[in-house]
Amino acid sequence: MDLIRDCLDKKVIDKDDRPMGRVDGIIIEIDGDGPPRVAWIELGVSTIAGRFSLRLGRLVKRLSQHLPDKGEPYRIPWNKLRIGLNEVEANLEAEKTPALEWELWFRKKIIGRIPGA
Amino acid sequence: MKKLLEIALGIVTSVGGFLEIGSITTAAQAGAEFSLQLIWAIVLGGLCVIFLVEQSGRFAAVSGRTIPDAIRERFGSNYFLSLYVVLGIVCLLVLGAELGGVCIALELATGIGFQWWGLPAAFIVWLVIWKGTFGVIEKGVSLLGLITLCFVVGAWLVHPQWPQVVQGALPSLPQHDSSRYWFIAVSIMGASISPYLFFFYSSGAIEDEWNESYIQINRVISTAGMTFGSLISIAVLILAAVLLLPKGVRLDHYQQLPLLLTPIFGKWGFWLLVASIGIACLGAAMEITLQIAYLTAQGFGWNWSENQHPSAEARFSFTYSITIILASLIVIVGIDPLKLTVFTMAITAATLPVSIVPFLFLMNDPSYVRVYRNGWFSNSIVLLIVGIAFLLAVVTIPLQIFGGS
Repeated sequence: MDLIRDCLDKKVIDKDDRPMGRVDGIIIEIDGDGPPRVAWIELGVSTIAGRFSLRLGRLVKRLSQHLPDKGEPYRIPWNKLRIGLNEVEANLEAEKTPALEWELWFRKKIIGRIPGA
Repeated sequence: MKKLLEIALGIVTSVGGFLEIGSITTAAQAGAEFSLQLIWAIVLGGLCVIFLVEQSGRFAAVSGRTIPDAIRERFGSNYFLSLYVVLGIVCLLVLGAELGGVCIALELATGIGFQWWGLPAAFIVWLVIWKGTFGVIEKGVSLLGLITLCFVVGAWLVHPQWPQVVQGALPSLPQHDSSRYWFIAVSIMGASISPYLFFFYSSGAIEDEWNESYIQINRVISTAGMTFGSLISIAVLILAAVLLLPKGVRLDHYQQLPLLLTPIFGKWGFWLLVASIGIACLGAAMEITLQIAYLTAQGFGWNWSENQHPSAEARFSFTYSITIILASLIVIVGIDPLKLTVFTMAITAATLPVSIVPFLFLMNDPSYVRVYRNGWFSNSIVLLIVGIAFLLAVVTIPLQIFGGS
């Protein structure tokens, strides 16, 4: 598998096909003398911003300190994932993870309060 | 039979939804200043948009993805972020112009200054998106947009010199004010080849659950819809050439717009123009508002669909709500809608390569479109479009300084 081609930036869905976001980053772990191991994928605005420029990533993280997700990207362990042709499927329930924290925040605090929502 | 109906409805909605403030203004200015000489710019822009819309529909039907979705995947987050910022700003300005168009119609109808209508118009756009489904916006508003066919009837009734109309469809060099001539040509192209149009079309194909069986339908709808749509723009140009040019009206103020129809239809012409501009711009404003939300949601992998309840996709709903509020501010501060339109059409033209170049790559990538890749002819046309877009980008800025209004 080519990690960049087949995984990075792909859409992430949960086990019920609900969108969770995109693979914004891939974390590779080096443990002692062993070979590098793909450990997690990351979902989060600060990760995308960090790919654009490290300084921008740090700025986004700092500005997000008081927001619902505190600017911390959400990590999904590699062993929970199945890399499909079009999407990356996570063996999780999206609403029970921080991936939809913003979605739920907007629903509860703003959109859900408007008549007809 | 069902497919025939679908084709007919698709063509009718494409025609009804074609005209917007950019195409009306640029075509009318072209006719008022250069008679029938600039029809070729509408023809060229129309040809480009036929190919782009056909390709974006084919892309969505075969790959099951929208263009922003695939751009993020194929070109990575950095390119997507750049595209997002550029296209987001341009679309917001165009939305401000369209909303301004709705407000001009309301000012003409009531006599109350256009900026006062900024918030009410924005609220109407928001309410239809909030309560309506994609079908309501795509079909309902576009069907109402068929009122813009009054320009075609008007153009027929003024008996233009048809040989000159045909002659105008072929590119020619200007006899006077060349910088102004090329600037208007650029603006016409920018108004025709709007990235929001074919991006929105690909989102619509996904909303309507198109698959490979829609490839032929898509071809017929995009070709016929955009061709007939371009004919309405040509009709506006003819009306301006026959009615405004002899009176020396250069259309530098939107209050002159009714002169396009009142000499033919009298008082009814005034109301036809008000309704045409109001409905056409309202439809375009809804599409652009949704397009900005689609671009955001698709690029960042959120849940999105105009057919769901707003709370089921809160981030998507929030994005279109905040977008329309921002656009209404452009109107409220009192920027002249006509000047804003001309400016945004030029800016659109300048930024075309950012969206068209990656689109060309996608249309040739078998991992997305499989055997339905562009043929040499389609490729050549898209290459031509990219070439034109680059040319437009190069000439737009100096023309904006020396030739723009």
